[in-house]
Amino acid sequence: MSKPTDLVQGTLDLLILKSIALAPMHGWAIAQRIRQVSNEVLQVNQGALYPALHRLEQQGWIEAEWGESENNRRAKYYSLTKPGGKYLQSEQANWERLSAAIGLVLKKA
Amino acid sequence: MRWLQSISHRLRSLYRKDAVERETDQELRFHLERQIAEHAATGMSPEEARRAALLEFGGVEQFKEECREARGVNRFESLLADLCYGFRSLRKSPGFTVVSVLTLALGIGANAAIFSVVNALLLHPYNFHNLDSLVRVWEDRGIDEGYDERYIAPADAEELRSTTGAFEGLTTYSMQSFGLRTKGDVQPILGCRVSANFFDVLAVIPVSGRLFGEAEQQPGADQLVILSYGSWQRRFAGDPRLLGKTISLNSRIYSIVGIMPKDFDYPVPAELWVPLALTPAEKADRAQLSLNALARLKPGVSVSQAAAVLNNFSRRLEQEYPKTNAGRATTLLQLRKELYMFTLPLFILLQAAAGFLLLLACANLANLVFARMIGRQREIALRAALGAGRGRLGQLFLSETLLYSLAAAVVAIVASFASVRALRTSIPVGWTKWVPGWDGIRVDGNVLAFTILAALGVGLFLGIATMLHTSRVEPNKTLKETGTGTVTRTKRRVCNALVVVQVMFALILLVCAGLTIQGFVRLAKVYQGFEPAGILKIEISLPQKVYADDAKIANFYQQLLRGAASVPGVRHASLVTNPPASNVDDETTFFAVEGQAAPNASELPSADLQIASPDFFDTLKISSVAGRVFSDADSADSARVAVIGHAMASRFWAKEDALGHRIKLGVQNSTEPWLTIVGVVGDVRQNWWNPVTRPVIYKPFAQAPQRSMNLLLRTTSNPASYVSAVRDVVRQADPAIALRGVNTLDEEIADSIAIVRIMGILMGIFGLVALALSSIGVYGVLSESVAQRTHEIGIRLALGANPRDLMKLILGQALKLTGIGLVIAVPCAVAISRAMASLIFGVVSLDFTILGGFTLLLLVVALGAGYLPARRAIGVDPMVSLRYE
Repeated sequence: MSKPTDLVQGTLDLLILKSIALAPMHGWAIAQRIRQVSNEVLQVNQGALYPALHRLEQQGWIEAEWGESENNRRAKYYSLTKPGGKYLQSEQANWERLSAAIGLVLKKA
Repeated sequence: MRWLQSISHRLRSLYRKDAVERETDQELRFHLERQIAEHAATGMSPEEARRAALLEFGGVEQFKEECREARGVNRFESLLADLCYGFRSLRKSPGFTVVSVLTLALGIGANAAIFSVVNALLLHPYNFHNLDSLVRVWEDRGIDEGYDERYIAPADAEELRSTTGAFEGLTTYSMQSFGLRTKGDVQPILGCRVSANFFDVLAVIPVSGRLFGEAEQQPGADQLVILSYGSWQRRFAGDPRLLGKTISLNSRIYSIVGIMPKDFDYPVPAELWVPLALTPAEKADRAQLSLNALARLKPGVSVSQAAAVLNNFSRRLEQEYPKTNAGRATTLLQLRKELYMFTLPLFILLQAAAGFLLLLACANLANLVFARMIGRQREIALRAALGAGRGRLGQLFLSETLLYSLAAAVVAIVASFASVRALRTSIPVGWTKWVPGWDGIRVDGNVLAFTILAALGVGLFLGIATMLHTSRVEPNKTLKETGTGTVTRTKRRVCNALVVVQVMFALILLVCAGLTIQGFVRLAKVYQGFEPAGILKIEISLPQKVYADDAKIANFYQQLLRGAASVPGVRHASLVTNPPASNVDDETTFFAVEGQAAPNASELPSADLQIASPDFFDTLKISSVAGRVFSDADSADSARVAVIGHAMASRFWAKEDALGHRIKLGVQNSTEPWLTIVGVVGDVRQNWWNPVTRPVIYKPFAQAPQRSMNLLLRTTSNPASYVSAVRDVVRQADPAIALRGVNTLDEEIADSIAIVRIMGILMGIFGLVALALSSIGVYGVLSESVAQRTHEIGIRLALGANPRDLMKLILGQALKLTGIGLVIAVPCAVAISRAMASLIFGVVSLDFTILGGFTLLLLVVALGAGYLPARRAIGVDPMVSLRYE
């Protein structure tokens, strides 16, 4: 297996929030989704996902609920809270500005 | 709302810890199972799938811990653990715990008790609405007239009220003593005559009944009275149907129209208020400053703005009425500040002393804690080696020191309930009834908050000091060492600095204590000019109805004096209006000297007026300077005479003999009779705050009989044993008369200076505690440092050092530390005693004997504290001390 690309500090939160923006998801599914959507480029360190989830929950951006998983097991589903949604928007805008700026610099230089 | 959710989360993580832990387990297990299933679907064997999933996931336990951290559980748990650990370590060394908690409790408790007084006197002496906008207004004649003499002329007050826009309201009042008739007896009661708007300006309303109306301040319509809550309770047993009833005051009938709320007694200690009904002539008077005035500033008007307005006002009056108002300046002072007199400064001084005591206790305890920390160095090094950061160690120390200080606060609060009550009752009511807010002294929310804050401050200070002290622990070095560990140079320096600080505060406290006690001793001696020992004092006041004319009054007292003088063991019996040490100023009177016209009405000379029977001067052994004293020949029918004090004679007749000159009470052209001066007597200190050289005029009782007099007896044995004999004499003269204020003059004097005595006692206690704490501190640090040097001393001795030189070395260290402390403290002590001298009416003055004496005492104590450990170290056999580690 290829070594997962190290995530830029702080981007894990953004990826988690974006992943669950459409529908509540459990931890495993979040990891899968990030991998699939990024065409296998971004490999989330699976264990590290959970402290991040707990922290986001603690901060009130996301909330958790136990529910039935697709294979009929009890799983903890995370969903975005209202302030979490706003936070995601502002963080996403920030990220886009930043990456566009970096892109500009890289093209010129 | 986010923070709310976050808190509820955090609390859930804390209190439902097990459930949350289980959920995390479940969550992670679900993840792993899904991952295993995923791998199994690609054809791996179950074993391989499991291995791969675990590898991808990483350290499960580590992530669980990170999850806990993310939920914020750890900080709480570690704090809890630290508190438990702190508690256990305190319990493990009960001696240390008890000593440190008690030391701190003493310091904190002293502060709490004194603060309860300052709190009541300074922060809410009155609970008037918007106290800061109330000001006292008076006319200053350029002479320092003191607190009791701030008056305004009625016409000026009226003009001030109607013409200046600075005040929302201005009211006038005047204290008056009344005789309240109850069942044939007349009791003295202090009241106040007030303008109709008095209560409006103060913004108070009666608990029942009504206030006075404008029309009721006319002479004739003014026989109405409002009672204080206290007098309603005490004198009328809280009678619920009292309103509308009548009482007799000074033989006039007054109907009760209102009762004021419980805490209202302005101006203290008034028990009733009647309308201030002035005649048109009195209203138009500009010459006599006869009324007190109180005003409320308009919102937005500052005190200095109002002062400027008053300045213009007095200048205008000066021009309009130069005859009466020349040289008068209308002045104002915030009511709150007027209270900052006398009693409060004493307690602020005590508060400062208590603060020093607490600092000293902290320094002392810091030394103890450091000494303990040196023993714990290995433990701390081990903790550091296991990964405890500075913050984590700091939290450990802080939780330990906060535990002591909070335990001390609990002890202090429990003790303060008793000590505050003791403090409140330690000063006789005769004094404290004049102090607004005194009855409000209690352990209230402010005092509790102050105590807890002080304790937290102490805990923080000690914790942070410990943290800094142990911050340079190097685990590598410390853990390799054997033995008890060593002390670095910096740490030694910190300990030494603490000793210096302790010596400093000890000297300051001792000097303050010494000066206060010296002041008290001096005060006890200020009552000069008479001999208080062996005097019995009894107050007598006759009911006006029965004793309606002078002849009856004179007759009663004549019989009383004759009877009292014939009691075996009574050498002299006499009457006087105001005996010394009564805590009441003499009545003062203006007087005119025949042939000496006063330049203007506002500059009439004034003097104290005393009325005395012939034997008074012999009773108190007041010396006769010139002429004669009164005799029985000075009767109601004979020529009017007066005796004056020496100070008055030398002020008004400096170059000639005062005898034979005539004076008149009041103004030159009044109808009062001329009094011929027949004698000059020695000056008497009336109250300790009065200057001894106040002019005083004595009139013979026979020529000016008064219903209320003080009977003074000079007895040959213990004066208190004559009370029942005197009671019989009074009963024979009139069975309806009650004896009041029975006391020996010695005790009266002791009571009158009780406040300074209490100060002296408290300061003395603070001083002794300071001395004890600092001696322990010096001893502790020196014996610790000598113990550390036992090895070195052994080597020196083995190499042939002279024990006397070694002794000098150690004593030199003691002297150096103490000396530095003293050098810093002496100028501080000088400055503080200067401040004290200005606070306490010249009772206290800087005294170099006291300063030098205590400096010497502290040096001797330091030498003693150094000598003991030094002797021990030198006495040890070098062989033993060399093995000592």
